[in-house]
Amino acid sequence: MADLLPEHPDFLWRNPDPKPSYDAIIVGGGGHGLATAYYLAKHHGMTNIAILERGWLAGGNMARNTTIIRSNYLWDESAAIYEHSLRLWEALPDELEYDFLFSQRGVMNLAHTLQDVRESVRRVGANKLNGVDAEWLDADQVKELCPIINTSEDIRYPVLGATYQPRAGIAKHDHVAWAFARKADELGVDIIQNCEVTGFLKDGNRVVGVQTNRGTIHAGKVALCAAGHSSVLAKMAGFDLPIQSHPLQALVSELHEIVHPTVVMSNHVHVYVSQAHKGELVMGAGIDSYNGYGQRGGFHVIEEQMAAAVELFPVFSRAHLLRTWGGIVDVTLDASPIVGKSPVENLYVNCGWGTGGFKGTPGAGWTMAHTIATDEPHALNAPFALERFETGALIDEHGAAAVAH
Amino acid sequence: MSDLTVDVAVVGAGPAGLAAAVAAAEAGAVVAVVDAGTQTGGQFWRHRPETGDADPDGHGHHDWNTFLDLRRRFRAGIAAGRVHHLPGLQVWMASKNDVDGFTLRTTRTVVGGEGVTPTVHAARLVLCPGGYDRQLPVPGWDLPGVMAAGGIQAFIKANGALPGKRFVVAGTGPFLLPVAANIAEAGGEVLAVLESSSLSKWFPHWKAAASVPGKALEGAEYAGIFARHRIPYKTRSIVTAVSGTDRVQTVSWAKADADGRAIPGTGGRYEDVDVIGFGWGFTPQMELPLSFGVQTRLDADGSLVAVVDERQESSVPGLFLAGEVTGVGGAVLAVLEGKAAGTAAADASAVVLPADVLPAKEAARRDRHRRFAQAMHQAHPVPHAWQEWLTPETLVCRCEEVPVSEVTQARSTLGAEDSRSLKSFTRVGMGWCQGRVCGFAGSCLGAGPGEPAAAASLASAAKRPLAVPVPISELASLND
Ligand SMILES: Cc1cc2nc3c(=O)[nH]c(=O)nc-3n(C[C@H](O)[C@H](O)[C@H](O)COP(=O)(O)OP(=O)(O)OC[C@H]3O[C@@H](n4cnc5c(N)ncnc54)[C@H](O)[C@@H]3O)c2cc1C
Ligand SMILES: Cc1cc2nc3c(=O)[nH]c(=O)nc-3n(C[C@H](O)[C@H](O)[C@H](O)COP(=O)(O)OP(=O)(O)OC[C@H]3O[C@@H](n4cnc5c(N)ncnc54)[C@H](O)[C@@H]3O)c2cc1C
Repeated sequence: MADLLPEHPDFLWRNPDPKPSYDAIIVGGGGHGLATAYYLAKHHGMTNIAILERGWLAGGNMARNTTIIRSNYLWDESAAIYEHSLRLWEALPDELEYDFLFSQRGVMNLAHTLQDVRESVRRVGANKLNGVDAEWLDADQVKELCPIINTSEDIRYPVLGATYQPRAGIAKHDHVAWAFARKADELGVDIIQNCEVTGFLKDGNRVVGVQTNRGTIHAGKVALCAAGHSSVLAKMAGFDLPIQSHPLQALVSELHEIVHPTVVMSNHVHVYVSQAHKGELVMGAGIDSYNGYGQRGGFHVIEEQMAAAVELFPVFSRAHLLRTWGGIVDVTLDASPIVGKSPVENLYVNCGWGTGGFKGTPGAGWTMAHTIATDEPHALNAPFALERFETGALIDEHGAAAVAH
Repeated sequence: MSDLTVDVAVVGAGPAGLAAAVAAAEAGAVVAVVDAGTQTGGQFWRHRPETGDADPDGHGHHDWNTFLDLRRRFRAGIAAGRVHHLPGLQVWMASKNDVDGFTLRTTRTVVGGEGVTPTVHAARLVLCPGGYDRQLPVPGWDLPGVMAAGGIQAFIKANGALPGKRFVVAGTGPFLLPVAANIAEAGGEVLAVLESSSLSKWFPHWKAAASVPGKALEGAEYAGIFARHRIPYKTRSIVTAVSGTDRVQTVSWAKADADGRAIPGTGGRYEDVDVIGFGWGFTPQMELPLSFGVQTRLDADGSLVAVVDERQESSVPGLFLAGEVTGVGGAVLAVLEGKAAGTAAADASAVVLPADVLPAKEAARRDRHRRFAQAMHQAHPVPHAWQEWLTPETLVCRCEEVPVSEVTQARSTLGAEDSRSLKSFTRVGMGWCQGRVCGFAGSCLGAGPGEPAAAASLASAAKRPLAVPVPISELASLND
C-alpha cells in the first residue's frame, strides 16, 4: 500500500525571514490561510505577501480533521459556496500538480426517523435545484452501495434511507496543505512559521501592520485565517466575533482490509465512519457541550456514538481503536462561516467554518482572495458577511452541519 | 463483572503494584488491583502458569522469597475481602473528577470473553504500570528473529521454552546479563553478549554501586553462569547490521569508540543466528500518568519519568506512582516505592507523613537504590553516536514502515524536530504500537545527530489518550 502514496517531496518551500513590509499578510498557516495566499498570488497577481503561522504549517485543525468533503448543504447560499469549493477540489490535483488522494467515493447521510426522512428528501430536492448531485436512497439502495451496513429494522437507529452525494469524498489533509504551500511558495509567497501575531498596527480605523514575536511587520492589508483563534485576534484588532468553541472528537483504528466503500454519516447520532487509504477506520463524533468536555478531563467517551457505529457496522465491532484526538472548532450562531470584510479597514476575516472547514478550504481561499484583492466580497461570500448577525440575515445550517460535518 | 468502588485502586501487579496493594490493604483500605497479566508478578516475577494453591516455582528468579511473601499477603487480603484482584484486564483510560474521584476503564488483555469489563472507581490511585525494553533502530531490525531482550526473557519465564537455538544479546546495561543467563540455563546457545559501554564507566560511581551489595552478588552469580556456559561478554561492542533473506541469519558487529561509533576494520559476524535480542535500558510506560498531566522530568537514562514526593505522590493530589514510572531502578526499588505508595494511599485524610509510609531503614535503602540506578544509567548510556549506525533505508517506525531518510528529510526541509510534527509529516509512530517502540528513536532523530530527545517530544510521543488499543465494541458496550 505504502508505495501507492505519492513520494514525499524533496523540497517544499523556502523558510524565509519576515520582510519589514508586505502588500498583504495572512494570519494563520492552516488550509484556509494557504489557499487564500495561493489564490491571491495566482488569480490576483499579489505576490508580495506573507503567511504568518505561530506554530508549524498546517498543525492546527488542518492536521486534526477527518477530511470529509461534500457540498449538499440546504440553503442556496451555502450550496453555492460549498459547491464552488467542490468544483475547485476537482480541479486542484492537476492545478497544484500534486496527487493528494482526493477520492470521490461518495458520502451518505443516514436517515433514522421519519422526521430525518422528511428533511432529507427536502434537502435532496433543494440540492438538485442548486445543481448539486444529490440522491435519495432507500434502505435497500443503501445496502447495495455499502454492503457492510446493517439495515435490519430492529436496531436502535434503523436505517430508513439516506441522502447520497456521489461526488463527495475524502482527501489526505497534510498533502493538501503541502500542495498549496509548494505552489504558493513558487509564486513568491513567504511562508513564515513560528511567527505569532500578537497585535495590530492601526492608523485610525485602518490596519497597517501586525506585531509579532519576530518583530513588527507592515502590511497594506491583513487577513485573519486563524480558525479557532480568530476571536482572540479580532479582540486585539478591536471588534468582536459571534463565535463559540465546540469540541469535536476523532478516532482511528488499526489497518483493515478495505471493506468500506464510501463515507457514512449519521447526523442523528453525530457519528461518521470512513476507511482511509491505508485501511484504517476513521471515525468522528460530536460532543454536545463544551462544559461537559472540560469537566471530563479533556477526554469524553463517546459511548453512544460508538454503540450506534457498532450497530450500523457489525463487522467493525472487533476493530481496535488505537488513538483518539480532539479539536476545538469555531462555530457561529447560524453554523455558517464568516468570510468578508471586518469593521476595521483593510482587515478581512475568515472563520466560523466550524466542523466543515476542510471541505471549504479552496472555496474560502478563493473568495477571501477576491475580497482582499478588490476590497469587495464576491457574490459567493457576500451572504457570509459579519454584518448578517446585525441585520438578521442568518443562514441557518444547523441541520446540515451541526456536529457532523 | 460489575463496577467496583474502592478506597484505593492499583494498576499493575508487578513488584511495585503488589507491594502497594499489600501495604494499602494491610493499612485497612479496600483495594482493587487491575493487572494486564493473568497472574501476579509483573515483568520481573513473570512465571509459568500457576497450578492450584502451591507456591509457584522460582527457578532462575531473584528475590523470589519477596514475591512469595507478597503473594501470600495479597491472597490473604483477597480472602479477607479487602483486595479485589482483576487480572487479565488493561486500563485503557483513567480519569479523575471532583465528584467520583478516579475512574478506570478496562478492556480484556486476552481475546475472547464476553460481557462488559468492569469500571473501577477509587478515592485514590496508585499507578505501577512498569516499562518495556527501549529499542533503537539498526539496519535489519525489522527482520523476524529480532526481539526485545526482555521479550526473550518473558518468553522463557512464561512458557519455559526458547524462541530459537542460537542467540546474540546486544545493547547496554546489566539487564543483558540475566537475559543471557536465562537463555543459557534454558538450553540455548548465546554466541555473545555485546555491550556498547565499557565497564570502566562504572568507576566514577563505585560508591553508589558498592552501597547496594546485592547487585554485586547478582553480578558474581552471572559471572559464574557465563563462565559455565562459555558466553563471551564483549564490551564496547555494537551490532552494525542484522541480515538474512527472510529472517535473521547474520549479525555483524564492530568495536565501538567512546561515543559508540563503529571502528572500521574491527569486529566480525555471527552466522546462523536464530534470534537477536536488543535492550537499551527501559522505557517507563507513561501513558496513564501523562493522561493526568503529572509533572515530569528527564531521568539520567534519557527517559521521561514522573516526579513524586517522599510519599510517592505525584503532582496530582491522590495520584501515587511507584516503580519504573518514577525512574527505572529495578525490582527492589520498585517494591520499596510500592510499599510507600500503598501506605500513603490508604490514608484517606492525606495527613500521613513521609516517616510513616516507610521506616527509616527502608527509606534509606530506597535512596541507595535510587543512587545505584543513577550510577547504572550513567555507566550504560544510550551511545552518543547511535544515529550514525543507521542507513537511509533503515526503518525507524516498523509499524508504518518509515525509513530514516524520510524522518531526516522532514527534519531538514520541514523543520519537524519533535515527535508530533514528525508524526504528521511521516507517520512515524502512527501504527499499532503508537510509538511505544519508535518514540524514543524518533524523538532523538528529530533532535538531530548526537542530540538527546527533548522531554516535550518524548511526552507528546507517549501521550496516548487511549492507553492501550480498545475494541470498538468495548466502547459501545459502555452505553448499555
Ligand atoms: C476532529 C475534527 C474533525 C473535523 N472533520 C472535518 C471534516 O471531516 N470535514 C471538514 O470539512 N472539516 C472538518 N473539520 C473542521 C476543519 O478542520 C476546520 O474547519 C478547518 O481546518 C479550519 O481551517 P484551517 O485549516 O485554516 O484551520 P487551522 O488548521 O486551525 O489553521 C489556523 C491556523 O492559525 C494559526 N494561528 C492562530 N492564531 C495565530 C496567531 N496569533 N498568529 C499566527 N498564527 C495563528 C494556528 O496556529 C493554525 O495553524 C474537523 C475539525 C476537527 C477538530
Ligand atoms: C521484559 C522485562 C524483563 C525484565 N527482566 C529483569 C531482570 O531479569 N532483572 C532485573 O533486575 N530487572 C528486570 N527487568 C526490570 C524489572 O522488571 C523492573 O525493574 C521491575 O519489574 C519494575 O517493577 P514494576 O512493578 O514497576 O513494573 P512491572 O514488573 O513491569 O509490572 C507492571 C505491571 O503492570 C501491568 N500493566 C501495565 N500497564 C497496564 C495497564 N494499562 N492496565 C493494567 N495493567 C497494566 C503490566 O502488565 C505488569 O504486570 C525487566 C523488565 C522488563 C520490561
